[in-house]
Amino acid sequence: MRNLKLFQLSLIFFSSIPLLPILTLAFSAENPTDRRILVLLDDVSLKSSHSIFFSSLQSRGFDLDFKLADDPKLTLQRYGQYLYDGLILFAPTTERFGGSLDLAAVLSFVDSGHDVIVAADSNASDLIRNIAAECGADFDEDPSAVVIDHTSYAVSDTEGDHTLIVSDELIQSDVILGKEKIEAPILFKGIGHSLNPENNLVLKVLSASSTAYSANPNSKLSTPPSLSGSAISLVSVLQARNNARVLISGSLELFSNRLLRAGVQRAGHSKKFDKSGNERFVVEVSKWVFHERGHLKAVNVRHHKVGESDEPAIYRINDDLEYFVEIYEWSGTQWEPYVANDVQVQFYMMSPYVLKTLSTNEKGLYHTSFKVPDVYGVFQFKIEYQRLGYTSLSLSKQIPVRPFRHNEYERFITTAFPYYGASFSTMLGFFIFSIVYLYSK
Amino acid sequence: MARSSTAKDAQALIQSLRSAYAATPTNLKIIDLYIIFAVSTALIQVVYMALVGSFPFNSFLSGVLSCVGTAVLAVCLRIQVNKENKEFKDLPPERAFADFVLCNLVLHLVIMNFLG
Amino acid sequence: MAAPETSPTPSSLRNAFGHVFSFFILILIGVLAFSIRLFSVIKYESVIHEFDPYFNYRVTQFLTKNGIYDFWNWFDDRTWYPLGRVIGGTVYPGLTLTAGTLWWLLNSLNIPLSVETVCVFTAPIFSAFASWATYLLTKEVKGAGAGLTAAALLAMVPSYISRSVAGSYDNEAVAIFALIFTFYLYIKTLNTGSLFYATLNSIAYFYMVCSWGGYTFIINLIPMHVLLCIVTGRYSSRLYIAYAPLVVLGTLLAALVPVVGFNAVMTSEHFASFLVFIIIHVVALVYYIKGILSPRMFKVAVMLVLSVGLVICCTVVAVLIALVASSPTKGWSGRSLSLLDPTYASKYIPIIASVSEHQPPTWPSYFMDLNILAFLVPAGIVACFLPLSDASSFVILYIVTSVYFSGVMVRLMLVLAPAACIMSGIALSGAFDVLTRSLKFQLPGTSEIFASDAVDTGSESVILNKDGAKEDKSEDSVKERPSKKSKKKEKEKEKEKEKEKEKEKENAGTLSSRSHAGTSSRRPLVLPVEASVIAIFLLVLLVAFYVVHCVWAAAEAYSAPSIVLTSQSPDGLHVFDDFREAYAWLSHNTDVDDKVASWWDYGYQTTAMANRTVIVDNNTWNNTHIATVGTAMSSPEKAAWEIFNSLDVKYVLVVFGGLVGYPSDDINKFLWMVRIGGGVFPHIKEPDYLRDGQYRIDSQATPTMLNCLMYKLSYYRFVETDGKGFDRVRRTEIGKKYFKLTHFEEVFTTHHWMVRIYKLKSPRNRIRGKTKKSKSKSSSTISSKSSRTRKKNPWN
Repeated sequence: MRNLKLFQLSLIFFSSIPLLPILTLAFSAENPTDRRILVLLDDVSLKSSHSIFFSSLQSRGFDLDFKLADDPKLTLQRYGQYLYDGLILFAPTTERFGGSLDLAAVLSFVDSGHDVIVAADSNASDLIRNIAAECGADFDEDPSAVVIDHTSYAVSDTEGDHTLIVSDELIQSDVILGKEKIEAPILFKGIGHSLNPENNLVLKVLSASSTAYSANPNSKLSTPPSLSGSAISLVSVLQARNNARVLISGSLELFSNRLLRAGVQRAGHSKKFDKSGNERFVVEVSKWVFHERGHLKAVNVRHHKVGESDEPAIYRINDDLEYFVEIYEWSGTQWEPYVANDVQVQFYMMSPYVLKTLSTNEKGLYHTSFKVPDVYGVFQFKIEYQRLGYTSLSLSKQIPVRPFRHNEYERFITTAFPYYGASFSTMLGFFIFSIVYLYSK
Repeated sequence: MARSSTAKDAQALIQSLRSAYAATPTNLKIIDLYIIFAVSTALIQVVYMALVGSFPFNSFLSGVLSCVGTAVLAVCLRIQVNKENKEFKDLPPERAFADFVLCNLVLHLVIMNFLG
Repeated sequence: MAAPETSPTPSSLRNAFGHVFSFFILILIGVLAFSIRLFSVIKYESVIHEFDPYFNYRVTQFLTKNGIYDFWNWFDDRTWYPLGRVIGGTVYPGLTLTAGTLWWLLNSLNIPLSVETVCVFTAPIFSAFASWATYLLTKEVKGAGAGLTAAALLAMVPSYISRSVAGSYDNEAVAIFALIFTFYLYIKTLNTGSLFYATLNSIAYFYMVCSWGGYTFIINLIPMHVLLCIVTGRYSSRLYIAYAPLVVLGTLLAALVPVVGFNAVMTSEHFASFLVFIIIHVVALVYYIKGILSPRMFKVAVMLVLSVGLVICCTVVAVLIALVASSPTKGWSGRSLSLLDPTYASKYIPIIASVSEHQPPTWPSYFMDLNILAFLVPAGIVACFLPLSDASSFVILYIVTSVYFSGVMVRLMLVLAPAACIMSGIALSGAFDVLTRSLKFQLPGTSEIFASDAVDTGSESVILNKDGAKEDKSEDSVKERPSKKSKKKEKEKEKEKEKEKEKEKENAGTLSSRSHAGTSSRRPLVLPVEASVIAIFLLVLLVAFYVVHCVWAAAEAYSAPSIVLTSQSPDGLHVFDDFREAYAWLSHNTDVDDKVASWWDYGYQTTAMANRTVIVDNNTWNNTHIATVGTAMSSPEKAAWEIFNSLDVKYVLVVFGGLVGYPSDDINKFLWMVRIGGGVFPHIKEPDYLRDGQYRIDSQATPTMLNCLMYKLSYYRFVETDGKGFDRVRRTEIGKKYFKLTHFEEVFTTHHWMVRIYKLKSPRNRIRGKTKKSKSKSSSTISSKSSRTRKKNPWN
């Protein structure tokens, strides 16, 4: 019995040894870029038809693991550890995954801080739709509907049904799409989805033009389409509260070699681009999704009284203090100083008593100094930094502020000198009186 | 008529007060002087407070109360050592004075504590 | 005891014997007072009781660890988050300093006791001191015999026991001693006219100010007495010496205590003393001038002074009134106002009215707490009038005012108890005095002893009484084990007592008139031997009954620590230790800086036992903050979550007695939360929680009630216990049995479900879209759906 147990233990031990180096590569605060990515396909041919996208990932150092979506040995985690840092779901028609993978597993993968790219397509399965819905993106409920645009479609040799549409309505964010503007429009063929405008975690990255609508191209429109105009989102991203990022695309073809390579000419426009903007778009967006951009970290929060260097356990009211924080951005390979002029710190107790913009030395160090308000209580240094595309920084550090000690009040006030004088004169008078009284007999 | 009679009465009163007071022994007179000194100091302080405001209130309080306290204690001493007072026949004046000194020490200790 | 030192030898020998004897009796009384309060330790364990004592204990720990200066400047950031509390400036330090000194003393004597032990036993020790102080005070009033009786009575009086059993480490424990001792020194000064005692008096007053907010009772009672003396023409220079230095020194010393500070001169509670201070000076001056002037001249002077003095007085009074009237509450604090106007608190300050010990007492509680004393008091008052001295008039004033105050607030029964003991001591000792004397006088061969003075016989008679009482007590405590028996006995005794009562009253009446006659004629009238023997027997029986009652009260009624509960049921003793279980869970399973929200009753215990930051606690200084918590508790889940989240609360603790029938749980306190919350945040309306003016939690309850956080947290999963959801406190089935929590999750529930701890869920990691899930039919709210459809916790 004991031997058996020992054996089991050693088995676990040895089997974990090869895992160790992989674990060190895992997603961590120090190294936020994902390294190991599981790619699920519903057809092996996708591996070659989307090879440009995959090879761009591999050239950036990602370790791709291709599996069929119904592979019976599919699993995301073993012994409570995730085997992958990212997941690419290029399996729009899969109704159920193989192995232990299911909707809940994908969601808990996201909720533990990992990133996912989901691509749907026309007649996407309920599973894919549910994953998207859990992330806040609602695909058109009509399973046969696709996005159609009769004015902003791609000019092609054959007069099609205008389902290959052209859009350049991209989100205005350097962080998500890179610094260089994507000039060429993007080709899209797939289904649209809508976002709840109250949901501030999801962003439309690529939206349809105002003339688009979502309907079944093969049937006559009997009722007004449920989705239309620029409310249709073609590609959206979610940045969850734990900074996990999810890309939801209504089109798998968006990533395909065919569209990446294709030239594009928008209907009604004379200009023809040799190459669509798709490649730039998918590469930049995947960089953002896999945390190669826009990932901030704040470290080394320090504060102390002006003129001192040690951090006190408690401040006194009206103390002058200095506050430091270092903020860095992950560049994909290393941490680089983050430079901005809009980082603010609050000195907060139920409401901000002090609100100061931090000044930076361009090397990542932010700094400010202020006077503790004339209120005692338990305060917090709070930084709430939420900018489009960046991971949200929210730091708070608790610090109590105490009132004056009993011996810290002002003493020897000039207006009080007569009182001092009176007190001492009575004392003196007492002595003189005692002497006079005692010797008067 | 009435006025002149009251004036005369007052005069007679002051006269008799003075004569009665002249009969008091010297040590009681010393105490009276001391009381007057303390009370006048207290009054000066109150006037000063009315002029400059009551900001260091604790100083004001201790200043005034030290004077008042001194006066009160001196009155107590005066009562006790007064030979005409029948109630304190069995209390020797030395004992009374020792008590007085003790009480004063406590008072001034507290005053010092409260002043700053 | 120094009075008859120079009398002839046989008498002085007898006196010395009496002194030694009374000294031993005093020691015995001290031991009795100490040991009668140990029932709680024997029956339960050596723990701190209730709520406030936990705070005092925590403060004492801080004091012993960090020293007095840090204590003085202590800013506590673990309570009243995020406001914090300046402990050094808002606490009455007397008790803490006393226990701290005691601990330090013991440790420096190499007696290593824990701080907790010292705290537990502080109250019994000081009750022994208090009974000695009672002896001194009563001795000043009516002689040593009455003193010993009063001390013995005080050592056992249930009202005082209720506040000073071992473990009840509260301000009152030392304050009663300080109160009695201050009164004793005042009377002593009044009787001797010595400045020395006046100094001691103000120092004792200082100790009282340090210990308890009840010091205002002293500073109002003494001026009242002075005024009474002046009005009744009893002014003497001793009165001046007793009063004037006390006001000056006492005010200064009181102002030294940080929690009182300038209040000692600024609030109306103290104005009476200053007014009387002025009056006594005027009176003293008048008496002085009267002494040195001839009567004729004095009349002239009076004429003059009256005309001038009236004008001055009027202006002074006008200025004072203007000053007082300028402040909104007329300078009175809420608690004092509710003393003067009993309906004030319930009208304006629900937070004061919500505390049960601030309610007026019921009649049975008088009998429970004072027992026979309540009936002996009138006799004592009569005895005090014969003859009326300065001291006895003070005692009379004391009992009259304290009876009034105790009628307003249950808590102040405690102030009444010493007065009642003194009065009863005087009455009992007087009765024994007369009876034994008449016996002695009629027994042959003892008539010459009659020459000895009254004090002597008094003390002797008390010895007799005491011994009888002691025996009875030991007997009864042995017999008492089967409680049913004792109860029966009690009933019988009650009947007996009624009869006795009447007799006793008669006795008191006759004997008082008799003793009066005795003093005038020096030859007391003599009762027949049989009558006095029977009367003595009945009195002893009466006292025995008192002792039995006191022991019962100490053992059964007042020694429960309320932190551990027990219940006796047919299948044995049940111990409910849920509170400590919950606090231990908190201290072991939560982060040091986590904030725990609960109703304020449990704030002190949470900080002391779990060492976690709380939002509000039993020091109810910030009404708004308490109202915020009350509002959160009476809001629906989402609003409550937002309130708590804005206060950085991580855990919510509720006390729930529905499973075991523990009546003082949060559901029963809930209306106060609504009231206090609604007092500040008007969107909480009390009628919303009441169905036709009735507070109920069954199916008739209002939807607001059934959806509020307190209901949900209390009854979450409650139906799983018995399948019906039957609440044993409210004796009804609960209204809403099956519901889910969306913003809170249950993390811990104690063994008997008395304490339930919930954690605030963090905001959702993702926000879902509107899915068209075929499986889930209802699509009411996003959040409720998400918790229904998935078993795994989606909250990160």
